[in-house]
Amino acid sequence: MSTPTSAPATVAPAVSPSLWRPSGLISFLVIIAAMAGLPLVASTYMLTLMVPFFGFAIALLGFNLLFGYTGLLSFGHAMFLGIGAYAAAVMTSKLGVQSLELILLVAVAAAVVIAVPVGFLCVRYTRIFFGMLTLAFGMLFHSILFKFYGLTGGDQGMRVMRPLLFGMAFEGGKTAFITGPFYYYALGLLTLLGCAMWRIVRSPFGLHLTAIRENAQKAAYLGVTVSRMRLAAYVISGVYGAIGGVILAVTIGLADPEIVYWTQSGNLVFMAVLGGSGAFAGPVVGGLAFVLLQDTVMSATQYWRFVMGAVLVLIVIFFPRGIAGLFGDAFARLKRGS
Amino acid sequence: MNISRRTLMRGIGAAGLAAAAPGIFSPAIAQSKPVRIGILAPRSGAMGTVGECGIRAVQWATERMNKDGGIAGRPIELVIEEETSPKDTIERFRRLVLQEKVDCVQGLISTGVSLGVAPVAEEEQALLIMWDGTTQDGVKEAMPKSQYVFRSTDNECEAVMASLLSIKYFKGKIKRIAGINPDYSYGRNNWEAFQQILKRAGVEVEVVAEQWPKVGTMDLTSHVAALKAAKPDFIFSSMLFADLPVFMKQGSAAGLFEGVNLALPAAGWQINQLKKEFMPENIVFGHNTLYFALPNASPLQKAFVEDYMGRYKEAPSWEADRAYFALAAYKAGVEAAAKATGRWPKLTEIIESIPKQKIESLGGPGQFRADKIAEQTFYQGLSTNQNSYDFPTLKTVDSFTADQLQKPPGVDFWEWLKTSKLPV
Repeated sequence: MSTPTSAPATVAPAVSPSLWRPSGLISFLVIIAAMAGLPLVASTYMLTLMVPFFGFAIALLGFNLLFGYTGLLSFGHAMFLGIGAYAAAVMTSKLGVQSLELILLVAVAAAVVIAVPVGFLCVRYTRIFFGMLTLAFGMLFHSILFKFYGLTGGDQGMRVMRPLLFGMAFEGGKTAFITGPFYYYALGLLTLLGCAMWRIVRSPFGLHLTAIRENAQKAAYLGVTVSRMRLAAYVISGVYGAIGGVILAVTIGLADPEIVYWTQSGNLVFMAVLGGSGAFAGPVVGGLAFVLLQDTVMSATQYWRFVMGAVLVLIVIFFPRGIAGLFGDAFARLKRGS
Repeated sequence: MNISRRTLMRGIGAAGLAAAAPGIFSPAIAQSKPVRIGILAPRSGAMGTVGECGIRAVQWATERMNKDGGIAGRPIELVIEEETSPKDTIERFRRLVLQEKVDCVQGLISTGVSLGVAPVAEEEQALLIMWDGTTQDGVKEAMPKSQYVFRSTDNECEAVMASLLSIKYFKGKIKRIAGINPDYSYGRNNWEAFQQILKRAGVEVEVVAEQWPKVGTMDLTSHVAALKAAKPDFIFSSMLFADLPVFMKQGSAAGLFEGVNLALPAAGWQINQLKKEFMPENIVFGHNTLYFALPNASPLQKAFVEDYMGRYKEAPSWEADRAYFALAAYKAGVEAAAKATGRWPKLTEIIESIPKQKIESLGGPGQFRADKIAEQTFYQGLSTNQNSYDFPTLKTVDSFTADQLQKPPGVDFWEWLKTSKLPV
């Protein structure tokens, strides 16, 4: 067992996110701009793939606050996706509340209520202990969803009905809704939350987190309240996860226990590593790459899991800073060349 | 521009030839375009072997039907995607419909996944014919009135039949019952149905143990020990994935089955893995809608089983029948509608036509009801190890049609169980 004051940061990437210039915010906004223009050129199917990506991207921004900036690797972060998804399901299917804004508020509240006690217990540990504890809580939540079937629908999950956006109902089929108004709603949410996260990581609080990641003991000597900061990071990342879960659930139309299973948490880690957790926009890039890669590989071969696993191995061995790292290096070379 | 007489004559000749050539520039050109059928089936994990069996059958059916002119003269082309989690399978479904532009999607085995995909099919107004995955909760809550979704027979049919046969063969010997069933809606419904049917038949029993292993659990020793300690005289298990052979192997090693009768309503799914060395005889053994060694099988079944066993060196399970039935129902529906309209039918015409067609499937006759739920023929019986295979076959074959085992349209399953006239 390790304590906040004695544990060295281990899982954090070697290079500080702040060193990743050009600014992560610009990279993030470039992706947002590309996504905003995508409906003009992409097929309907491609747009239906992008909406889950927005959900994952929001969750990954939060996940990376914990992983990339604070140095805590959660193996149970899909729990928050589930909290958001089931909040949407309960609100729309059981309580008849259709307002997405209200659903998001409830999801955020539920995430805070669960993240505070869970985080309180988990952030006292670091390294593998933190990872195992978060995994345990994630699987505990999965078991609750699976076993209390009278309440949660068990393995069959719960339907998520189409919500109202700003109080407005939209006519037409589900695909038209997802690729039309909901696409831009989710993109807007991603933009807002991305900018908010940028402010968070550049604030004194964000710098405290980076200091904790680099050397928790030294940060504590300098007056950083390590546990409290870690807890705050955990709660914020949970809130982002829940909002991402709402977006996913509305797109799928279902909240089911699979969304909180450990493999889904593994996917979040995969996306963050693929994109590069050392860069602000890295996990967002990773989320996009993961969604597109999985879609292509799944259609190309039945051995798609093997291919995905091989990609992860290659990334970890040869490109530990992920896709964002590759781009960063290329950009730096270009700059030197010019 | 000057047009010479030779050029003009050549042009007229070419136009005349084009007009005279049969089919050119006529609607037939569009009709020779393949009918694209999207398939969603698991290819790995606990349901991987079952999904593969269905895929093999639908490939066999496609080959056979294409030799016979395809569907209303158009060849069939399969686009196969994997059924995984509900989220990913919904994305695969959308890919088939929006990107691959398939005419019909068929498949789905998991109830949880089908409950996620079916509402999407309704919303996308895309025809979906399910192979499996129809439990009561889903029928009742998620899909009260489907327009584009054709569902399989209720999953509980096999439990109802196994319960009835347990009474038929073991009445008087059932006093202390134990259940070991998969921990999800299917397992819970089956165990409940078994107990209710015993009650209706006036069989007074004591439930001595209930075990709920999670699907895919490969170490069942604690469950086996709990069952053995309870000393049941009858065990009912609707386990059906790769964990069933493990249970039978570990139970046999522990002596669990000595002096105990068993009902395994869904054992046929794992037929090739249930080896004689650990399988006791006289089990109520379910093969659902396809018993590969049916003595009076149709020529269609015989041809399929021969080809399948020759090619893959194993027996096909009922998922093969479900896959064949789905494709055959679509073909029959399209061809009947095409005959009635004299052209390639619209989707609404196909949907309207499918329930009117009687289908000769691999396992026997079947038909979709007006509420788009399938009615097929079920096979179960007492098992024997006296055969040339390395797994059990049936020494007595009982067959019921789904209308004897399945609730009628619009009726609650549990109410129907209490009041229906059951065949045994």
